[in-house]
Amino acid sequence: MVMNRPPDAGEILQGTLDMLILRTLVLGPAHGHTIAEAIERTSENALEVEQGSLYPALHRLEDRGWLSSEWGVSENNRKAKYYQLTSKGRKELAAAAGRWRRMTHAIGLILGESFE
Amino acid sequence: MNARRFVDRSRKDQELAEEIESHLAHERDANMARGLAADESRRRANVRFGNARTTRERVWRYRSLPWIEDLWRDLRFALRALAKTPGFATVAVLLIAVAIGVNTSVFSVTDAVLLKPLTYPDPQALVELRNLSPQGSFPGANIPKFNLWHQQTSIFQQVAAYDFGGSGLNITGGDHPQQVQGIHVSADYFAMFGAPVIAGRTFTAAEDSPHGGNVTVLSYGLWKNRYGANPHIVGSTIQLDGQAYLVVGVIGRGFVTDTPADLWVPFQFDLNSKDMAHYFTVAARLKPGITAPQANAQLRLSADQFRRLYGADSLPPGAGFSVVSLQESSIGDMRTPLFVLLGAVGFVLLIACANVANLLLARAAARKREFATRAALGAGRGQIIRQLLIESLTLSLSGGAIGLILGFAGVRLLLRINPGNIPRIGEDGSAITLDPNILLFTLGISVLTGLIFGLIPAISASRPNLAAALNENGSRSGMGVRSGKLRSVLVMGEMALTVVLVIGAGLLIRTFLNLQSVDPGFAMHNVMSMAMSVSGDRFQKTGPVAQVIRDGSDRLLAIPGVLDVGVSNCLPMAGGFGMIFDVVGRPKGNSPFTGGAGFYSTSWSYFSTLKIPLLRGRSFAKQDDSTAPGVVIINEAMARRYWPKGDPLKDKIVIGPGAGPAFAEGPRQVIGIVGDTHDGGPNREPFPIMFIPLAQMPDLETALNSRVAPLYWFVRSQVDPRTLVTPMSAALRDASGGLPIAHMRTMEEVEARNVARQRFNMLLLSVFGSAGLLMAAIGIYGVMSYSIEQRTQELGVRMALGAQASNLRNMVIRQGMILTLIGVAIGIGGAFWLTHFLASFLFGVKPLDPVAFIATPILLSAIALASIWSPALRATRVDPMTALRIE
Repeated sequence: MVMNRPPDAGEILQGTLDMLILRTLVLGPAHGHTIAEAIERTSENALEVEQGSLYPALHRLEDRGWLSSEWGVSENNRKAKYYQLTSKGRKELAAAAGRWRRMTHAIGLILGESFE
Repeated sequence: MNARRFVDRSRKDQELAEEIESHLAHERDANMARGLAADESRRRANVRFGNARTTRERVWRYRSLPWIEDLWRDLRFALRALAKTPGFATVAVLLIAVAIGVNTSVFSVTDAVLLKPLTYPDPQALVELRNLSPQGSFPGANIPKFNLWHQQTSIFQQVAAYDFGGSGLNITGGDHPQQVQGIHVSADYFAMFGAPVIAGRTFTAAEDSPHGGNVTVLSYGLWKNRYGANPHIVGSTIQLDGQAYLVVGVIGRGFVTDTPADLWVPFQFDLNSKDMAHYFTVAARLKPGITAPQANAQLRLSADQFRRLYGADSLPPGAGFSVVSLQESSIGDMRTPLFVLLGAVGFVLLIACANVANLLLARAAARKREFATRAALGAGRGQIIRQLLIESLTLSLSGGAIGLILGFAGVRLLLRINPGNIPRIGEDGSAITLDPNILLFTLGISVLTGLIFGLIPAISASRPNLAAALNENGSRSGMGVRSGKLRSVLVMGEMALTVVLVIGAGLLIRTFLNLQSVDPGFAMHNVMSMAMSVSGDRFQKTGPVAQVIRDGSDRLLAIPGVLDVGVSNCLPMAGGFGMIFDVVGRPKGNSPFTGGAGFYSTSWSYFSTLKIPLLRGRSFAKQDDSTAPGVVIINEAMARRYWPKGDPLKDKIVIGPGAGPAFAEGPRQVIGIVGDTHDGGPNREPFPIMFIPLAQMPDLETALNSRVAPLYWFVRSQVDPRTLVTPMSAALRDASGGLPIAHMRTMEEVEARNVARQRFNMLLLSVFGSAGLLMAAIGIYGVMSYSIEQRTQELGVRMALGAQASNLRNMVIRQGMILTLIGVAIGIGGAFWLTHFLASFLFGVKPLDPVAFIATPILLSAIALASIWSPALRATRVDPMTALRIE
């Protein structure tokens, strides 16, 4: 079995996919398949990117001006669309990450020691 | 929302497809790298990704406005569905178009009269100065009042006086003399109204004081039409009443006053005057930040000041001054009639809505299977309602678009039938233009009607019993109890609304007939009236005016066919002057004078020309001139009111005691009593009038009179006086040394103008009532025909079981008439309440007039019976065999 994700592989929380995509692209331009793989690998396969949501999200982010895109050739020598973070996107990532930390901190406080 | 997402959808979708393809390829590569076979790699990649089409659809939807697309789809479907039943669509659109058309026309008049602001800059600050009395407030001012108001600089920015109507001036010189509308104004008039000066300037304060010289300002129209837009007109002189006037300025085209003016001349008031005669209007512009109540508070103080300055008699106790918004004042008494008309056309619209809803209900019943099929395929109830609403909105908006055109044509037609001086609509309704208000109104009622008549059938149709509807093999087995009931309710509503409309129309028709049958008290047949403006220096004294009257009368009488000639300074039924008087030797009690009455100055033959009967004493004679003792004739109403017991012919009266130097004169002997005339219009009781000979007026009074009113000539002839127009104007021109004649009207025309408003109201309400009747008749016919058709089977069974044709017919008639009678009863109830709003338009008939309240229901029931008759007969012709075989 190639798919060795744990059975409780989480679905990505609503609204956090955008942030994860932006964070992934900080490392440099990437195409959709790489982005999905990077998210899953970085999260140690705890998160599963639903492919059907990935592309709508990428298009939405591009329309908002947070990403730019251009066609290129991939490491496998295949045609692929590469996405790159714009400066607007960087700002949004910082804001989203801040929001996220505040929220997890708040949730941690509420859950108390049981969270430890 | 980001607009970028909506553009270039097809290309982006293509790109997405390629992107997905690329993704799958990379996934395949990854799988193959893990050592899987090519087939398995492809399968797993596809499984992992899921449905690519769904993803693309998701992005596509995200790039679209779903409701717009749904709307577009529903709209195309609605158009297709309507095109399949062109008859229905045409009838429905026409019904709506007519109803919306009448609404648009009445609203556009309302808009121009009530809603549009005055055309002057910052119109909210413009107020009219009013006199307050215990009886109410009335406009008009004299010089002392104007002077005092002018000094209230703490509340007013500008105060200006202008003529009520103006006497008309004559432009002489050039090829043909012309009577023009000249308005006297005070210097601040143009600044106050913000009139645009396109050449020269307006009057200076010096020019607007006594001996300020002859100066005039021209209107754009006169400058253009008479002087060919001559650029050098300013600084040149024109001849007015034989005098040279210096043109100092020209006002731009946009400046339109309520009394249209051709040119303006300064009043040149002597502000030291104690002349108490009211002969002009005063308006003011409030200072910024000053409100009407603040101005009124200040004016209360100034009323006390006025009494201190001019004596207690100058302003009766309880009287004072106030301001009222100029717009309010120019609307006058048009508010109620317009709201009544709007209400009436609203009824017409509701009736039309009920009819169209009825048609839609029938249509929905026939389409039951269609809806059931759609519901079975998964359409939600909301979607079916939306679909039906879009159909009805398509109908109502198309109807509205046609209605807008009809309404605009309608307004021109309405105004063609002389509505009788509606204020603020401009020359022939030119002020009524297509503006955003009207467009919004028409759009608004179109949407509203679409929703009203669409929602009822839509809701009832969207409640299908799937199994039943789909299993039925035809549409003939009934339309369901619910929609049948709904249609009956709609028909009853139509009947009720129609009853109210027709009762209202009936009341107005009776009013008009009553007005027509009032004897005005004077002859109208073959009597012509003509206005002659006796302005200018020649007519500042009584002698020359009397001379023109004597000469003119002689020359007119010399024309073959002319029977009698009279002259007066008032035109009966078109308003006149009033004045206070004292009876010599009679104690006055608390009042400063005996009373007030209409005050006419006439030639000796006024009464004989108009055939006003002399009841007692003698009439005026040619000899009653300035050298003879003063005489006065009173009418019966005056004798009745002020001499309830005594004999007026034994008394002398003083006219205008304390009313200023223009009216200072000695007592006059009452020499005769004449019959009453309905000078205030046929709907008013005759009021007291006193008459004095024109030749006996004090000089100053003649001078004042020449400024504010023309002389009216009355000619009674053997033949139609209109055939004598040419010799009559020639005779008067010769007698007056070239004065032109204007406003030639037979007394019948004068009278027609007087009842024009009532005639207009009656015509409109009759048209609305007839439209309502027609629609209600169609409505009940439709409902009964449809129910017969739906019940063919039932009727067939009844017949097969032995029912007689007459039984069936009577049953149908009974059912139809029950609907009618319930509707009529509701309508009578509504009319009991609503006709009170008509009370002020009625004359000689009460709002609860039994004739209207009995005749209307009978008429309506008769029409309903006629409409039901043919469906009822059809019921008797049902062939039991055919009816049963249909199943």
